[in-house]
Amino acid sequence: MLTRREILSTLEMLQSEHLDVRAVTMGINLMDCVSSDAAALRRNIETKIKTLSAGLVDACERVGDKYGIPVVNKRISVSPIAVVAAPLAPAQMVDVAQSLNDTAAAVNVDFIGGYSALVEKGFARGDRTLMESIPAALAQTDRVCASVNVASTRAGINMDAVLMMGSVIKEAARRTADRDGIAAAKLCVFANIPQDIPFMAGAYLGIGEPDAVINVGVSGPGVVKKAIDRALGANPGQDLGQISELIKQTAYKVTRIGELIGREVAMNLGIEFGAVDLSLAPTPNVGDSVGEIFQSLGLLNIGVPGSTAALAMLNDAVKKGGAFASSHVGGLSGAFIPVSEDLNIAAAARRGHLTLEKLEAMTSVCSVGLDMVAIPGSTSDETVAALIADEMAIGVINHKTTATRLIPVPGKSAGEHAYFGGLLGESVIMPVNNAEGRNRFILHGGRIPAPIHSMKN
Amino acid sequence: MQKVIISVLGQDRPGIIAAIANILFENDGNIENVSQTSLQSEFAGIFIVAIPDILAQDDLAQRMAVALDGMDLQVHIKPVEARHVADTPSAVESFIITTRGPDQKGLVARMTTIIARHNVNVTNCQAVFKGGDDPNSNIMIYEVDIPADTDQQMLFSELRQKGADLNLQVSIQHRDIFEALNRI
Repeated sequence: MLTRREILSTLEMLQSEHLDVRAVTMGINLMDCVSSDAAALRRNIETKIKTLSAGLVDACERVGDKYGIPVVNKRISVSPIAVVAAPLAPAQMVDVAQSLNDTAAAVNVDFIGGYSALVEKGFARGDRTLMESIPAALAQTDRVCASVNVASTRAGINMDAVLMMGSVIKEAARRTADRDGIAAAKLCVFANIPQDIPFMAGAYLGIGEPDAVINVGVSGPGVVKKAIDRALGANPGQDLGQISELIKQTAYKVTRIGELIGREVAMNLGIEFGAVDLSLAPTPNVGDSVGEIFQSLGLLNIGVPGSTAALAMLNDAVKKGGAFASSHVGGLSGAFIPVSEDLNIAAAARRGHLTLEKLEAMTSVCSVGLDMVAIPGSTSDETVAALIADEMAIGVINHKTTATRLIPVPGKSAGEHAYFGGLLGESVIMPVNNAEGRNRFILHGGRIPAPIHSMKN
Repeated sequence: MQKVIISVLGQDRPGIIAAIANILFENDGNIENVSQTSLQSEFAGIFIVAIPDILAQDDLAQRMAVALDGMDLQVHIKPVEARHVADTPSAVESFIITTRGPDQKGLVARMTTIIARHNVNVTNCQAVFKGGDDPNSNIMIYEVDIPADTDQQMLFSELRQKGADLNLQVSIQHRDIFEALNRI
């Protein structure tokens, strides 16, 4: 028999604290669709995705109804298209993106990830083609997400790829200048990209993954914030060890829900369950913010002195609670701090409490990186590349995933407002300081070698 | 041995269970299951007990009445009947239904009427009625076992409709979610 407290506390989390399952993402391996005939390849891809994912949205809604937990986003990730479509020309690669987009629309998912290349050690033919095609592909589709892994702890940083991505991002933004460069908001540059991320825009299905798999992204920043508020309301004298324990317990509960829902959706669809990504992922809604947690912890705003320590504690506690709750943890698993996707973080940037430099420092202790950061459209390709390189270095040296999702907003300067809409949100454009002149460091190119501690064998 | 079920009602105080258990022990009875609860100041307990075949239920009732004299308890004894196999649904799914909303007469009656019409068994039922209009002060929790052949969508939609008529927030969730969240 359940106790009244168990029932009521659960309802409270669901009804007033935005507890939900943020994303159920079906990973689909496309390697058996390969053909040098572009039309056949597209047909194979469309057929395979539709066959496997036709029931995805229904299954998520049925299971969500059963438990009273909404599954907010249903998505698909596929094998890296740079490999699947390696023989194709850039224009044909864009056609593949269009096929992915149309198929996603047909099965009613809002984003499909995997327009991706893995180039941390060098380019294969398909990689270069895909990277060149990214601006056109993202400008003409609205559901396709792209990612490029340019660095890893094992391989170092492919600085030629970093420089190229500086130009790709600028061009993607330029092609969608009428929508504040939204194409760049669907493009992540990674170091140490995981193979099983359920969250967009970085989701793709790794080569070592099964033919089809369900990965789940849980969220719950609102639940964590309310738990902290309740505890400090009852006893303001709690120390950080006690608060950390509380966050851990809350993360445990959130993750348990993700695992339960993910396993049942997978069972319903007759495919494997992969992993739970236990990230605190905000949305641009009041009460669903990672930034607000910083205020509950006693900081004026995210970005002020103390923020990195607070984030380190938060991120670690989330991991510890989540790891105990799920037998298979994967993806990014940490706290996200995407500027435009979180009302509170966007406000901190607008007030000047959060700067690009502080944001970068904070990414050394959490997942992701410079995420959904709007920068002036006049930022040079080299400077965009240099920002990417810095972020990649943090990931490579610290054995962790880092990424950038920078949006150089065409025709707009620092302090102006960029609007992306929906889950992508809106934000002030943050200044990129001290970026005058040519950046000869970035132009050297080549590969920054793997760090000494990568040699673990 | 024969099985009887004994219900005991009365004002709560120390020693009720001890008194009953001692009488049963003295009469060679074996307690198989006990459930007791206290609502406000009242005690309610039910005992399933195996007693010797030679002990008539009326005699046991008489002996209990004598032993419990002065404790102001109401005791009722009846035989436990074997359940007909046909009455037991082979497969059920457990859901938790909660309603929150302003206190008014007939809330429980109206919701449970729908639950009963669908042949769904309430396995546990808790209520917190403090009166007034604060939804959080007026909560009803029903744990129910829904047979596999019940039309869940029809049941849930009728409950939600009735809830809306009564100005209640109705939540219906599979029991597993509460287990997953609260228990290791």
